[in-house]
Amino acid sequence: MWKTLLAASALALTTAAAQAEKIEIELWHAMGGALGEATNAVAEQFNASQDKYNLTPVYKGNYEETLTATIAAFRAGEQPNIVQVFDAGAATIIGAEGAVIPAQDLIENAGFEFGTDYIPGVANFYADENGKMVGMPFNSSTPILYYNVEALEEAGVEPPTTWEEFQEIAPALKEAGYVPMAQSHLPWIFTENFMSRHNLQFATNANGYEGAEGTELLINVEPIKAHFTAVKEWIDAGLFGYYGTGWGDNQAPFENGEVAMWLGSSGSFGGLKQSADFEFSATYLPYWEAVTEEPYNTFIGGAALFAMSGQPEEENEAAAAFFQFLSSPEPQVFWHKETGYVPITATAYELAKAEGYYDEEPAAEVGINQLQQPGGDWTKGYRMGFYVQIRDVMNREYGRIFSGEATVDEAFGIIEEEGNRLLERFAQTQSG
Amino acid sequence: MSQDQIAVTGKPAVPVARPASATGAGFGAFVRRHQIVEHIVLLFGVLLMMGPIAVAFTTSTHDPVTIHSEGMQLGFGDNFLPTYEAVIFEQTGFTKQVTGWGMSLNSLILGLGFAIGKIIVSMLAAYAIVYFRFPLGTLCFWVIFSTLLLPLEVRILPSYEVVQGLGLLNSYTGLILPLIASATGTFFFRQFFKSVPNELLEAARIDGAGPFRFFWDILVPLSRTMIAAIFIIMFVVGWNQYLWPILMTTDESFYTVVRGIRQILQVWIGADIPDYNEALGLAIIAMIPPVLIVIIFQRMFIKGLVESEK
Amino acid sequence: MHKAQFQSPLYPYLLLLPQMAIVAVFFLWPSAEAVRSSFFLQDPFFGNETFVGIDNYTDAVTRSDYGRAAWFTFLFTVVVTFFSLGIALLLAVAADNVLRGQGPYKTLLMWVYAIAPPVAGLIGIMLFDQHIGPIVDFVALFGWDMRVGVDYWDTGIAMMIVATWKQIPVNFIFFLSGLQSIPKGVREAASIDNPSPSGRFWTIIFPLLAPTSFFLMIINITYAFFETFGIVDVMLKGEPGNNPVTLVYKVFLDGFRGNDLGGSSAQSVILMVFVLALTIIQFRLIERRVHYT
Repeated sequence: MWKTLLAASALALTTAAAQAEKIEIELWHAMGGALGEATNAVAEQFNASQDKYNLTPVYKGNYEETLTATIAAFRAGEQPNIVQVFDAGAATIIGAEGAVIPAQDLIENAGFEFGTDYIPGVANFYADENGKMVGMPFNSSTPILYYNVEALEEAGVEPPTTWEEFQEIAPALKEAGYVPMAQSHLPWIFTENFMSRHNLQFATNANGYEGAEGTELLINVEPIKAHFTAVKEWIDAGLFGYYGTGWGDNQAPFENGEVAMWLGSSGSFGGLKQSADFEFSATYLPYWEAVTEEPYNTFIGGAALFAMSGQPEEENEAAAAFFQFLSSPEPQVFWHKETGYVPITATAYELAKAEGYYDEEPAAEVGINQLQQPGGDWTKGYRMGFYVQIRDVMNREYGRIFSGEATVDEAFGIIEEEGNRLLERFAQTQSG
Repeated sequence: MSQDQIAVTGKPAVPVARPASATGAGFGAFVRRHQIVEHIVLLFGVLLMMGPIAVAFTTSTHDPVTIHSEGMQLGFGDNFLPTYEAVIFEQTGFTKQVTGWGMSLNSLILGLGFAIGKIIVSMLAAYAIVYFRFPLGTLCFWVIFSTLLLPLEVRILPSYEVVQGLGLLNSYTGLILPLIASATGTFFFRQFFKSVPNELLEAARIDGAGPFRFFWDILVPLSRTMIAAIFIIMFVVGWNQYLWPILMTTDESFYTVVRGIRQILQVWIGADIPDYNEALGLAIIAMIPPVLIVIIFQRMFIKGLVESEK
Repeated sequence: MHKAQFQSPLYPYLLLLPQMAIVAVFFLWPSAEAVRSSFFLQDPFFGNETFVGIDNYTDAVTRSDYGRAAWFTFLFTVVVTFFSLGIALLLAVAADNVLRGQGPYKTLLMWVYAIAPPVAGLIGIMLFDQHIGPIVDFVALFGWDMRVGVDYWDTGIAMMIVATWKQIPVNFIFFLSGLQSIPKGVREAASIDNPSPSGRFWTIIFPLLAPTSFFLMIINITYAFFETFGIVDVMLKGEPGNNPVTLVYKVFLDGFRGNDLGGSSAQSVILMVFVLALTIIQFRLIERRVHYT
């Protein structure tokens, strides 16, 4: 046993010696399983693509654990060069002014040219109020609608583009023995992206992008309350399935053919291909024609990479080189194909298209196209602090609506009240 | 305690014949039936306790897609060897040096280091508190006592800062020491020492034994079973640590088994099917060392606890 | 009764030094920091603080779900404590009575002790999966449409069962050792007074186990309180939604997961006061027992 240990450390020493001249940087991430392996592969490709820098990815637990580990490390001056932070945690890290170097500055300071062909729905989410990119989108996906082709044929219906259409076809699907639809993430799909899809303001201060001070949720409004009223009616009529807050709990009945349509992530088709033994396809997230005549783009979920401040200049250059590498077409296409996440630049999308990838995987293209639909004033995303807790409040209150414990009005009143309290508290943490 | 109780009941402890049951011929059957009832209860208990573990094991021998779509499997699958080979020997991680074996070794170091460290530290402290009269004794006791009140999760950021300040990140020392801070071991030993008869100390004093000799020659041997019991409890606690190690270490050579299980399972929303088989397989493997320790030491363990009960 | 003691000016301090040093460095200082931060709102990255007095406390207890979480924590604790003690006692009595095969039974009944809480949670949530969980399928035979993850109480019951399951072995070990420490003489004497085995158990054996039970009860309450959050976290899949949470899990959600350092510190101080009260009770009980030795 000790021999193995000794041998291992000796090996580590020799490899370290061989790399002594390279500049070492660390990336902390939250990608487990196959995604973790894909992350390791991207890092290896970067290390092999040049001989100045060496990037080491480190798995630090789930998103929340990674963020907390980063906070602890930052306070102690031990922060990594790059950290992966998820959508709901973005306000925490971006709000801490000076904790991160905006990706755009990092890249330009290192003498690179900052690309301009980022896909809008992707690039804006982690940008500041002036549109400067702060976090480099890493694993991005957007909500789309998957459908069981046979089920829809059996019922003799077409996949809906609007919720009005859904209401028309749903009884036929129920008749055919299916639960017509389910979804996997109420705050992400039926709240944040609901607002974006209909170009509705989600919060004051430009959805929170202009600063935490005075930001308030604008969620207690008719369009979204009408939507939840409708969903509750559908559930009661057997036209919609709600299986709790667990992502997989809602995906499973689609996979085993009970549910005919499922709202999930544009990256979900890889898992569905392994688990569904029927033909499925995908289309855009429906919208209410009563609210907007034309739908607007959705934005992304997932996480972005942030360059932490307080590192030596040469390491920042290394981080910039990695960002530059990461946003170049080949790694993007590799990542896109390997994980199902969308590419972040139009060039990478064109490359994947030219390679014929979307002929093999039509579902993979739906998300990218949806992200490139016309944008409006309120389709960039949102920036709100303590948002993890706000999502918890939403999930809880939505659950109470569906179980009949609360009316739509009561639930949205509580979300507004408690959400705004959390936002106010967050603003206080920022002012200190 | 028990001896006192005998005095209280006031009955002579003499063997007596069991009273014959009303139906004399049925006496044997009566006893037998009772043993049967007890065996049924125990078998039911074993089913309750071991059933889920057995199902976890059989499930781990299936492929992940089956587990994902059909759930836990009662029957034995045909994926046993590939799963367990992957879990134990497959080299994963960025450095390609993380194996189930390596992670178990880390968990073992953490479990052993924590258990041994805790026993030494808390035995010394309990000895001081019970066997010495000194001005700050009570204060020290309450200070140690207070460690039960605040779980690590709440003080995790400041704890990290302390460990970093001491330069102990990515080290076994940094992993183990903060965990030792909790007082449970000290209380177990304090309770045990208090039950040691005074005559022993008086006799030792007559023999001219000082505090050190009394501790080493009398108290330590007397506490052997108690030590075994605490060792097992603490080993399991150390072995199962998760949050602290993940915060504290960035070097893949420090990965522990529980972290490995979480990493396998943590797959982002539907993009992939987690390797349930490997997670369960690793969970089964992760159970073996602590279970072995519990089984091997269980006699000592029970005996140790019996003595602490006095 | 006073313990015979040594007198030495230096020895006790030397002996206490390692423990006190570790406690001071790795517990007292970080904890003081945590208690202090319950009166502040803090930017997590830079630690910039705004003093808010007791706002964190009032905010915590006035949230609409605090009462519900407190009530669930209470029920959860009572149920887990009662059933894990009851089942363990039943098994311990049976194991103590059987003459043959005691060893294998003991071993198999202790096995679960070694499982990490997240693993117990994982096995639990797979067994209770709302679509394909075998237990859910089983109770469906009796007409119970158990929807773990959707229905508040169904999820709560599943969490209680798993938490109970994980705790039975410890109680079993303690009870069995308690039973086996009762001398043969007492039992034989008891059998004269009480021909019926159950009467014998309740009038003689159970009172003898009472101190063990008290002690275990406190251990179990702290277990249900503090140590179950690994199970809860995995069984709720990290997204509580409209499912029950325990108060400690809430501290974890707001602090570790949501980076609300002040708010979670305040919640844990509230818990701390409660646990302090509980441990004082525990102490009195243990001390009293030690005294009549």
